[in-house]
Amino acid sequence: MSNEAREHTGTEYEELQRTEEFGELRRRFRRFVFPMTALFLAWYFLYVLLAAYAPDFMSQKVWGEINVGLLFGLGQFVSTFVITVLYVRWADREFDPRAQALHDRLEGGRP
Amino acid sequence: MNTVYGVTAIVLVCLTTLGVGAFGLRLSRTTSDFYVAGRTVTPYRNASAIGGEYLSAASFLGIAGLVYSSGLDMLWFPVGYTVGYVVLLVLVAAPLRRSGAYTLPDFAEARLESSRIRLLSSLLVVGIGWLYLLPQLQGAGLALRVVTGAPTWVGSLVVVLVVIANVAAGGMRSITLVQAMQYWLKLTAIAVPAFVLLTVWLGDGRPGPQLTAGTAVDWAQPLSGFGGQDHPVYATYSTLLALALGTMGLPHVLVRFYTNPDGRAARRTTLTVVALLGLFYLFPPVYGVLGRVYLPHLPDGLRADSIVLALPEAVVPGSLGEVLSAVLAGGAFAAFLSTASGLTMSVAGVLDQDLLRGRLGRLTGEDATVVQGFRLATVLAMVVPYAAARFVEPIGLATTVGLAFAVAGSTFCPLLVLGSWWRGLSTVGAAAGLVSGGVLAAGAVLITMLAGPISGWPGALLGQPAAWTIPIAFSVAVVVSLATPARIPRHTARTMVRLHTPEDLGLERSTRHR
Repeated sequence: MSNEAREHTGTEYEELQRTEEFGELRRRFRRFVFPMTALFLAWYFLYVLLAAYAPDFMSQKVWGEINVGLLFGLGQFVSTFVITVLYVRWADREFDPRAQALHDRLEGGRP
Repeated sequence: MNTVYGVTAIVLVCLTTLGVGAFGLRLSRTTSDFYVAGRTVTPYRNASAIGGEYLSAASFLGIAGLVYSSGLDMLWFPVGYTVGYVVLLVLVAAPLRRSGAYTLPDFAEARLESSRIRLLSSLLVVGIGWLYLLPQLQGAGLALRVVTGAPTWVGSLVVVLVVIANVAAGGMRSITLVQAMQYWLKLTAIAVPAFVLLTVWLGDGRPGPQLTAGTAVDWAQPLSGFGGQDHPVYATYSTLLALALGTMGLPHVLVRFYTNPDGRAARRTTLTVVALLGLFYLFPPVYGVLGRVYLPHLPDGLRADSIVLALPEAVVPGSLGEVLSAVLAGGAFAAFLSTASGLTMSVAGVLDQDLLRGRLGRLTGEDATVVQGFRLATVLAMVVPYAAARFVEPIGLATTVGLAFAVAGSTFCPLLVLGSWWRGLSTVGAAAGLVSGGVLAAGAVLITMLAGPISGWPGALLGQPAAWTIPIAFSVAVVVSLATPARIPRHTARTMVRLHTPEDLGLERSTRHR
């Protein structure tokens, strides 16, 4: 990869930033990532809220000594992993191809 | 505890660490290799390395201590450590990876085109690094005292020496290998004894912790005190916020993302990291719970943080318990060594590049080589927290680590999030955000660590500052930026395109590494 061989001027960047595709790329990213971040932080903060204000619910026994709080706590690890999987799949499927298309356009179809 | 077993395990871990480090040294040739392993690390190994580096004294000993002293709902603490990675991944990992910068100060300078912001970031990296190194060294002192009865300074010194030898000699490449190995070492060391102890407990037919008499009656009550502090809900939320937003500002975490060849690999790496961390965090709570069953009253001279090391011999007296304790002590040392190595690497890199190099050159008449300068910086990076560990009274390993997260979240989180997502960030605004967040959070930390326990709201606000310092830092950065639109960096448009288009776009990347 010889990056030096490809000369780009400042104006090209500004043009790219103004293009519809670039705007679309950033909008898509924000539409997915920002709500998702808010949602999973809320889900995570809910755990503490329940622990603080619904101790009876959290200490309900489910099986033997295992209570709702414990399952909820372990479930947090699972949900964190699920969210990461969702994000990675979204980025692979939705984000990368569009970014690649933008790339091809700027480079005039060069690989 | 059987001293011979414990010392053997610790010596083995130290020697293995040094040995793998020396092996990696042969692969580390150019300066670029020296810093980020030439960006050729596979996602799987990189993820193991991140896990190895991230699981510190706070994870290995501190979580169990928290669960032991405050209850099972302390599970939110390790969940927070994991969540921080997801926030980092979705909000800033890709732009950062694309910025072409190697360190936080590199990013600050590239984005804001100001060497003063770079210097400010460098000072913060060093401060946060030292704050995070402190509990690693305290933990090492604590662990070695439980194993051998040696004074706490001995354990700290062992970690200092091994880390200096490893980091100064090998750099990042060797550290990546060492860290990857450390994760599996730590997982084995905490999981195998946990299974043995659980089996013994089930066979024992002892009741669960809720039924134990005495202090443990309300132990299973959620949020039963956050270590006996006032305003536990505030304290919990504040710490949560610090963990979720502070991870991205930890110097030793970010540098790992540059060792991925591209953004795709960076995402694969993070996914694996979340899985590896989740797997590890299943085990520390086991020690906290069993600790409540077998050691309902903490024996004299022990801190809650050493419950992991003290438990096996309470459950299975005799040589099996001694062997298990030794395995855990070895694992704990692996935790101190790996986290301290990663932190030292980052702190030394920044000390060397931004604070020492010019001065050292003048002092020696340009005689000092680049690598010599880095070695000097490595020693300096360890000596300061070692001195602090000798003089500051430990306030709980997980708590101290939480404070490092609070400072990171109050300074680098606004810089990174606004820097990657907001075109309106001005140089003055960024500086004002860093200074206000840094001064407030660090001030609160210093008061908490030096003044002893403070009760009521002042104690809660100072002890867990993130909930107010992070919003203040964000607001200051935004308001000052809006007031100084003339100081928006000249090439902002160009930088933003670079941050938000894929690596292989072929646009010029500045390799800011010097």
